[in-house]
Amino acid sequence: MAESYRRGHPGHALFILPYLTAFVVLLAFPLFWSIWLSLHKVDLFGPGRFVGLTNYTRVLADPVFLQAFRNTILFVALSVPTLVALGLFLALALNRTTRTTSFFRGLFFSSSVLSVTIVTLIWRFVFIPRDGLIPVIFEQLGLQPINFLSTSGWSLFAVGVATVWWCLGLPMMLFLAALQQIPADLYEAAALDNASPWRVLRRITLPSIARTIMLVTIIQIVMQFQLFGQAQLMTNGGPNGTSRPLVMYIYETGFIRWDVGKGAAASELLFLIILCAAMVQYIISTRKPEVRE
Amino acid sequence: MSASIEIANVTKRYGTLTVLDDISLSISPSEFVVFLGPSGCGKSTLLRMIAGLEDVTEGMISVGGQRVDTLPPGKRGVAMVFQSYALYPHMTVHENMSFGLENIGVAKKEIEKRIRLAAETLEIAHLLDRKPQKLSGGQRQRAAIGRAIVKEPKAFLFDEPLSNLDAALRGRTRLELAQLHARLGSTMIFVTHDQVEAMTLADRIVVMHNRKIEQIGTPMEIYHHPATRFVAGFVGSPAMNFIPVQRITQNENGTAVDAAGIGNLDTAIRLPTAFSSQSATLGIRAEDISVLSPGQSGVPLIAEVVERLGDRTLIYGRLSDGTKLTVEADGRNEASAGDRLEIALDASAIHLFDADGMAHHPEGE
Amino acid sequence: MSRDQSTYRPETLTASRPLLWIAALLSVVMMAPVAWLVGLSIKNNRELMLGTESVFRLPYTLVNYVNILHSSQAFGWFFNSMIVAIGQTIGVLVLSSLAGYAFARLEFPLRRTIFVIVLFGLAVPEQAVIIARHQMFNWFGLHNSHLGLMLPGMSSAFGVFLMTQFFRAIPKEIDEAALLDNASQWRIFWKIMLPLTLPAQATLGIFTFLHAWNDYWWPLISATKKEMYTLTIGIASSQTNFAQSEGLGFLSAQAVFASLPVLIVYIFFQRHIVTAVSGGAVK
Repeated sequence: MAESYRRGHPGHALFILPYLTAFVVLLAFPLFWSIWLSLHKVDLFGPGRFVGLTNYTRVLADPVFLQAFRNTILFVALSVPTLVALGLFLALALNRTTRTTSFFRGLFFSSSVLSVTIVTLIWRFVFIPRDGLIPVIFEQLGLQPINFLSTSGWSLFAVGVATVWWCLGLPMMLFLAALQQIPADLYEAAALDNASPWRVLRRITLPSIARTIMLVTIIQIVMQFQLFGQAQLMTNGGPNGTSRPLVMYIYETGFIRWDVGKGAAASELLFLIILCAAMVQYIISTRKPEVRE
Repeated sequence: MSASIEIANVTKRYGTLTVLDDISLSISPSEFVVFLGPSGCGKSTLLRMIAGLEDVTEGMISVGGQRVDTLPPGKRGVAMVFQSYALYPHMTVHENMSFGLENIGVAKKEIEKRIRLAAETLEIAHLLDRKPQKLSGGQRQRAAIGRAIVKEPKAFLFDEPLSNLDAALRGRTRLELAQLHARLGSTMIFVTHDQVEAMTLADRIVVMHNRKIEQIGTPMEIYHHPATRFVAGFVGSPAMNFIPVQRITQNENGTAVDAAGIGNLDTAIRLPTAFSSQSATLGIRAEDISVLSPGQSGVPLIAEVVERLGDRTLIYGRLSDGTKLTVEADGRNEASAGDRLEIALDASAIHLFDADGMAHHPEGE
Repeated sequence: MSRDQSTYRPETLTASRPLLWIAALLSVVMMAPVAWLVGLSIKNNRELMLGTESVFRLPYTLVNYVNILHSSQAFGWFFNSMIVAIGQTIGVLVLSSLAGYAFARLEFPLRRTIFVIVLFGLAVPEQAVIIARHQMFNWFGLHNSHLGLMLPGMSSAFGVFLMTQFFRAIPKEIDEAALLDNASQWRIFWKIMLPLTLPAQATLGIFTFLHAWNDYWWPLISATKKEMYTLTIGIASSQTNFAQSEGLGFLSAQAVFASLPVLIVYIFFQRHIVTAVSGGAVK
């Protein structure tokens, strides 16, 4: 029997060996090691002691964690719909290739390439009391100044504004890509059927990108669940932890208070949530493309 | 350089799916062989097995007396021209041609000599510094052939190389390929589903169908003495007419056939005694049926569609019992749809097929 | 879609004039904070102390930018960011290309299983491994080093996924032709396949560079010594105790300075970045 030129040459594995090493050492092993840590009582000195699910019950009983969890849910519930709606609107508005629309696309995506540090710096200079852009405008208009960054309620809102500003580019680009997949003859057929522009949008455009809307929503949920830098740098979670997100809780538990086991447990809980969202994303993306109406 | 190719009892399976079943074939040096068949018949797979791009499940392949089916593709000494040409997009035509030679360590001077020679032969010397995107379809084709020629292979393998060209260019390239074969005198295997390419290029045609070889023969043998009903129906345009046989009487001169809607015909076909008229079929090509001039009486036919091709006229009609029949008449025939015509069948051009599709032809000629 | 001017274009809501006007309005809102930052950066700190509404008035000055030149710290951070981002980019390109080619073209034991596991890696957020990773890097003394900063990014499955897609898009006949040309597997990869993925390399490379340059999480945890900060972390650190010490103007100038490399890369390679983000997410 002949050996195929493609089949199972062990030497071929050399091509994936470098990446596989990186994958195992830097991702797979740390993942299991984190789970192991979350089941042990560990401090900086000496080996840990197995404590079962104690770390998890400690996390779940921690009012700070529960507050951070609520904050995160609230943040996701507000920022994701805003991002999806604004992104969809911009994609619809800019869905034509002219010099003007390309310029606007580039502009709306440009904030996405900035680092979180710059984004928060920009928005702090917008929000900070007295010196910020908004207080200056408020003063000119004779309005009562609001301290956005340190008023409970407003602080998470300010973080949300900065986040939407920062992340808007990706949903817009994904929607634009989807809109361009809609065959032009669908629109031509609709025009022959005397459909009004509004009906075309409702009955042709939106149904054609329904799957993308779902996917973008899930991608954004996954991303916004990992909120950290904006909150840490703009409000440091304050006031009274009302803008502290989950990831910041993990960071503070694991790297400020060095409660490694508890931090690991919290991080695995976050992983579980994100994994569920990723599963849904996988199911939607492998399902066959939507049937057109 | 040209070599013989021997394919012995080759079988190809993907899991439980058999794609080629016990294929044997020998090709002599300098022969131009065409694998002809409908898509999915395994002809491309067989070619790719010779090239080494598919492994052989069972059996043996030799090129020039050397067993090759255990060798990697590059060591078999064959060159292949792909349907998509598969030129390396980032290399110039010159680099495309030299790449393979560099791989086997041919001296620089020799490489230049061979490329110059091939470029002259193919008239692409002015294109050597271009990349494939900058070439027309026909030029790409030549570059791909050039890449094969410089390797001075023991055999050339062509995988439907003309199917991406437009009709006019295809005809011209066909001629040039025939000339190229005459000049190089190399063994060539050419895979196609186009019977015109097969008929015009081949020394011998291998007709393949349903995992097996149906017939191997010269174009004329294939056309005039198809071995099976499949070959008879696949080769020739319009396709051969098939008429159910009702009764067969053997006599000393051959066989008298009674076919549906036609009546009795005396043929020179000698059938084996075991031949059964059960499910047997009579086959005759459209050009072997003639339209009788008015007043003469023959087999009646009602014309349903008439296609005027200029040099000839194709009449699609029905016999009295409803059997469909295609008749080729000359270009001036004035029949029109609905006409009732009288036709005659050339008894010397009749083929009989048994229930298994095996063919029997008239003796003589 | 390029169509003739004369082609009939059905009337739709998308890209209609009113929508474009609203988008233009939004873009003004979008750019206002940036303009504010740039405005602050070209004002004298002392003037800003009296009231930031002076941004709307002359005089303007470049003194804050000149001051960056004198601040060795910012340059050190810039240098760290460059080393880490370039190193990580090269690493990701090499690892992803090799692995992507293998997944797309080669047969080896457990290929499918390994690919699925690697894809699963896409779903693992950094937070889920960060604590263990921090410990491991501690064992090997990798914290506060350039290598330590660039290594974690190399495990990203995104690049492998993207390169696998790109390699799969190359027609199989190309490598079959090379096989018949007696090229070794390595030579096929190096001379035929790799050159054909150059556009993909650019896409992945630019994307990785931006990602590494902007990374916040890992450098925050791993680089604890001030001289090992990346620009992102450095700016964050001066941000948390600004106001009194350095002033709004200087900080703003620093932020503009830190964004310049990214914006330049963005302006020149916008197409690649968009391909990377939309190709990676939708497919």
